[in-house]
Amino acid sequence: MTSNFISFIHRDRIVEIKNPDPNETLLNYIRTKLKKTGTKEGCAEGGCGACTVVLGELKNNDINYKAINSCITLLPTLEGKQLILIEDLISKDGGLHPVQEAMVKCHGSQCGFCTPGFVMALFSMFKKYSNFKDDIIKDSIAGNLCRCTGYKPIIKAAKSLQNQNKIDHFSKNLKNIIKLLKKIDNKSIEIYKNEKKYFAPRYVQELKKIIKKNINTNFLSGGTDLSLNITKERKDINSIVYMNSISELNYIKNNNKYIEIGASTPLVDLEHYIQKYYPDFTKILKRYGSPQIRNVGTVAGNIATASPIGDCLPLLLSLNAQVILQDAKKTKVLFLDSFFINYRKTKINKGQFIHSIRIPLFEKNTFKAYKVSKRFDDDISSICAAFNLEIINNKIESVRIAYGGMAETPKRAIFCEKVLLKSSINEDIVNKAKEALEKDFKPISDMRASGLYRMEVAKNLLEKCCVEIKEKKTISIYV
Amino acid sequence: MKKENLINEKRPHESGIKHVSGKAFYIDDISEPAGTLHGAIGWSKKAHAIIKKINLNEVIKSEGVIAVVTSKDIKGRNDVGPVYDGDPIFPKKAEYYGQPLFAVAAKTTELARKAVLKVKISYKSLKPITTIEAALKKKSFVLKEKIIKKGEAFKAINNSAHQLQGNFTTGSQEHFALEGQTAFVIPQEDNDFKVFSSTQHPSETQQIIAKMLNQKNNTITVETRRIGGGFGGKETQSFIFAAICTLLAKKTKQPVKLKMDRDDDIIITGKRHDFYSEYTVGFDELGVIKGLKLKLASRCGSSPDLSGAINERALLHIDNAYYLENIIVENYLCKTNTASNTAFRGFGGNQGMMAIENIIDNIANSLKKDPAEIRRRNFYQKKKKNITHYNMKVEDNVIQEIFDKILKSSNYKSRKLGIKKFNQKNKYIKKGIAITPVKFGISFTTWHLNQAGALVHIYCDDGSVNVNTGAIEMGQGTYTKIAQLVANELGLPFSKIKVSATRTDKVPNTSASAASSTTDLNGAAALNAISKIKINLAEYVKRKYKIKDSEAIYKNEIVKFKGKTFKFNSLIKEAYLNRVSLSSSGFYATPKIHFDKKNFTGRPFLYFAYGAAVSEVMIDTLTGENKIAQADILHDAGKAINPAIELGQIEGGFVQGAGWLTMEEVKWKLNGQLTTHSPSTYKIPAVSDMPEKFNVEIFKKGKNIENVINKSKTTGEPPLMNAMSVFFAIKNAIASIANYNFTPELNAPATPERILMSINKLKRKI
Repeated sequence: MTSNFISFIHRDRIVEIKNPDPNETLLNYIRTKLKKTGTKEGCAEGGCGACTVVLGELKNNDINYKAINSCITLLPTLEGKQLILIEDLISKDGGLHPVQEAMVKCHGSQCGFCTPGFVMALFSMFKKYSNFKDDIIKDSIAGNLCRCTGYKPIIKAAKSLQNQNKIDHFSKNLKNIIKLLKKIDNKSIEIYKNEKKYFAPRYVQELKKIIKKNINTNFLSGGTDLSLNITKERKDINSIVYMNSISELNYIKNNNKYIEIGASTPLVDLEHYIQKYYPDFTKILKRYGSPQIRNVGTVAGNIATASPIGDCLPLLLSLNAQVILQDAKKTKVLFLDSFFINYRKTKINKGQFIHSIRIPLFEKNTFKAYKVSKRFDDDISSICAAFNLEIINNKIESVRIAYGGMAETPKRAIFCEKVLLKSSINEDIVNKAKEALEKDFKPISDMRASGLYRMEVAKNLLEKCCVEIKEKKTISIYV
Repeated sequence: MKKENLINEKRPHESGIKHVSGKAFYIDDISEPAGTLHGAIGWSKKAHAIIKKINLNEVIKSEGVIAVVTSKDIKGRNDVGPVYDGDPIFPKKAEYYGQPLFAVAAKTTELARKAVLKVKISYKSLKPITTIEAALKKKSFVLKEKIIKKGEAFKAINNSAHQLQGNFTTGSQEHFALEGQTAFVIPQEDNDFKVFSSTQHPSETQQIIAKMLNQKNNTITVETRRIGGGFGGKETQSFIFAAICTLLAKKTKQPVKLKMDRDDDIIITGKRHDFYSEYTVGFDELGVIKGLKLKLASRCGSSPDLSGAINERALLHIDNAYYLENIIVENYLCKTNTASNTAFRGFGGNQGMMAIENIIDNIANSLKKDPAEIRRRNFYQKKKKNITHYNMKVEDNVIQEIFDKILKSSNYKSRKLGIKKFNQKNKYIKKGIAITPVKFGISFTTWHLNQAGALVHIYCDDGSVNVNTGAIEMGQGTYTKIAQLVANELGLPFSKIKVSATRTDKVPNTSASAASSTTDLNGAAALNAISKIKINLAEYVKRKYKIKDSEAIYKNEIVKFKGKTFKFNSLIKEAYLNRVSLSSSGFYATPKIHFDKKNFTGRPFLYFAYGAAVSEVMIDTLTGENKIAQADILHDAGKAINPAIELGQIEGGFVQGAGWLTMEEVKWKLNGQLTTHSPSTYKIPAVSDMPEKFNVEIFKKGKNIENVINKSKTTGEPPLMNAMSVFFAIKNAIASIANYNFTPELNAPATPERILMSINKLKRKI
């Protein structure tokens, strides 16, 4: 079934919007149409968390409560979900939600402007976890900026939730909402509004047809890149096809040779799955962005935007990942190695879409990845580096090294790899390999870091990797 | 019934429940009357250029646009400069990249923002000056340089056993209040305007708008209930937005809202002054400073704005907590083609303090002594060595006590030893520790600003109270504290007191909520109003019940005169029926202060706030990444009115200060274009940047010796400077690489890149 209206659940009711503007942000809708002003605009680029709302999504007969940035979420993507706003946390009798109460008691608000966003981020944590350990708390609010408190009272509030009764009015009403969500979980969306088109297919077959007809369409997943064209560049995005509505593409599977990740799988799912294969991959994914971003962003989106500072990309390059492209007729498998052409240009042809990504499993290899940025939480890398080495009897039998932030695309360090290959790890070789990086890269200077710094850190990360392998320890201030 | 503690106890923010449930209204949340339009500002893409022509044809034609305003629409003063001219609303010559040139009103914010991009501007480019260095070279200044002297600096330096020379910079800082600049203006009858502005300074907003319109001040009413963070960024920088919004409302005769996009906001507005200093210091074997020569230059940006007062405060704080007998300081206020720098928590004070702390740190390093010891030796003392370089006697000195206490409770000495051992064992990860003191002067250094007004009503017959003052609630909790003071004074439960939105038609001629003085001044004015109402009541009771004594105790909703006791409500009702005024204005002017700016001498401050902090950091010498492992703070809040709020200020100030000194980096291209204007390029501290262990305490023996409300001390700005310890801990960690034999060269902010470069320089010395 295809419709030109979207349906979602808000305050226990099905809400339908006919022909919504495909370029309208959810935040704009909440503030100007719903006239709910508790949700704030802080930056309009998903960088401060003030606009955080929670979306309830059906998952295995339960609801998954995801914090998202409403400022970069496009309204039609609300289809089939439950929208929860700060105002909705208050129960019908006017009582505060345990999260709200904790924030008041612990003096978690000062100027109060960021507070609704924090409350919503913590509400998502409250619903998702049972044990609010420090790392869970910090991760849950890593995408929310507060300029007043210094965060201490907010952490205290989050910790105090540990002893709270977990039953809130959402859990009491769970069955009803699940029923409503199931009721609206049935249609593909096609919107034609003035010059703008928006498609949210539910199946790959549908997607293929849409792309065939709309060869110049823009793919939307998390919207962390595309939406900024609207909110920052003030452009109209006239044709959008939304990938995350295709549940067929929301999967992670594993055949013992490689992990395959469907294009609409959110990063947050991958970060849990890949932990046991490549712990450093998880470590980097956790710093990829805030939970609000990781809840909606995808690996496929990261690959397609081809940003030189996309944090997944050097990791995938060093792991020799493959991209599965499809068009109406064919499936094509490309190695990521040859995928990036130049700045933000890839080998994806018109009419093709990313179906999935395969990450080979190197059981014997050592995989290490590092991200260096000004800030630990939710920052863009100055340099990101990934090392994939097979070492037998202290000899490097195979090696793949890739860097982000060092060139116009994420790139392998071929010269450096050559020095290391078939060598043992010793100071002399490491120094030579460091020198070789100068042949591999000529990094630029920008507001994040100078080219000089980037080059030096690139070398030092190689050294760090080698020392860590040799001495079997981790060298980091973040442990 | 459990007794309610009105003051000296922790209690939640008066808007806490509203904050957490999204019911606290900020300017953008005020419901819009039908026909409300939305504004956007078009700004210069050149840092220095004559504006030859602004072609607005496409802008006017753009969808949804109702009106466009340019300098031609300004009938009165085309300037929002608070003290001096220099901040044109729409200039003929652009002085910085981002300077507003025109504005539009359209049906929606999105349409307005789209429209302004369609402008075609022809510029005649001029060469911009974009660094302090270039400004000094070209003698480009916004105000005349200043030289202050005490004693014989040159002689003292020459006669000292040791001398050191060097230079040092501290960086700029973007305020990044989570609520950006916002204004909302509703036209009224008689050409009057009701202005809602996210500002720290409603009165000056009113005056500036009136001057722009060539109207009387009484035609403009400015109202502000709360702002989503200020930090100095809305002391004067909010004016241009309120002014432009009013201009649009006047032209369209419709309500207009102007909500700035985050990037535009950061690009258009000024930030903290970055400072450059050069010093020569003479000191003895013990590290005691004998003479100091300092050159202090700041980036003021394109106009004077508040730069005069900010630089003055830097000069007034180059002593921090140290006795300086012989000094000479030259101060240059550099004019650059960048947004006009402005007030930011600390207001130049912290920049001055960082200059002297760096000198002391370097003295300690050069003598291979513990900086804690050298700092201690240079402290002001109680009986002697207690006159500042501006001839004010330091009468309330508690720095020694605070410093020693935190030194002990933080186990500074044993941890320092442990850190040395750790550093010997670890090649790549290094630790560092430092303690720094804070002494910060409280009062506006501009004498006349130290006044406040209030308006208090008690309503018949429920006895509820409405309090209005000039104070702006910006997260510092001033409404809560004023309500507590009022409740305590009247013996009423907190719930009976309402502090209402700050409005220029209720309390006139207010000062900015700034200089940490907001509650001190406005709280005292509110108490003054109450004392007048109490006099009315006492006179009535005396008259009616033939009682001699006016004294009465107001407690637990009971009013006790000698010989007659009332329920509060009954007394109020009775007084009303007997035609007694239950409303009064109040006033307060800070006593004792005076300052001769020309000769730089006097008593500019009523009192000093003190604090000290020990910070321990870790750095990764391969990448420069850094982390605060532990911070211990002891801060003097006097007799705190609300310890929870003061703790919040102390903790939050520290983290904001740490941001200023570590990760927050404002960057411009050489052509003057700002490159850090969004959360993706400008990083303020996030949750993981909070010290891993964070022990914060209020100095229990604290008590203001001056006659300040509740004997409290403000915690607005001073706690920010406790973060100086973070910077010097990083320096200490770097020094370990050369076994503490050399002084690292490090400027603020200590970003990972700066730290790595400092390490490299040091390695070359080994």
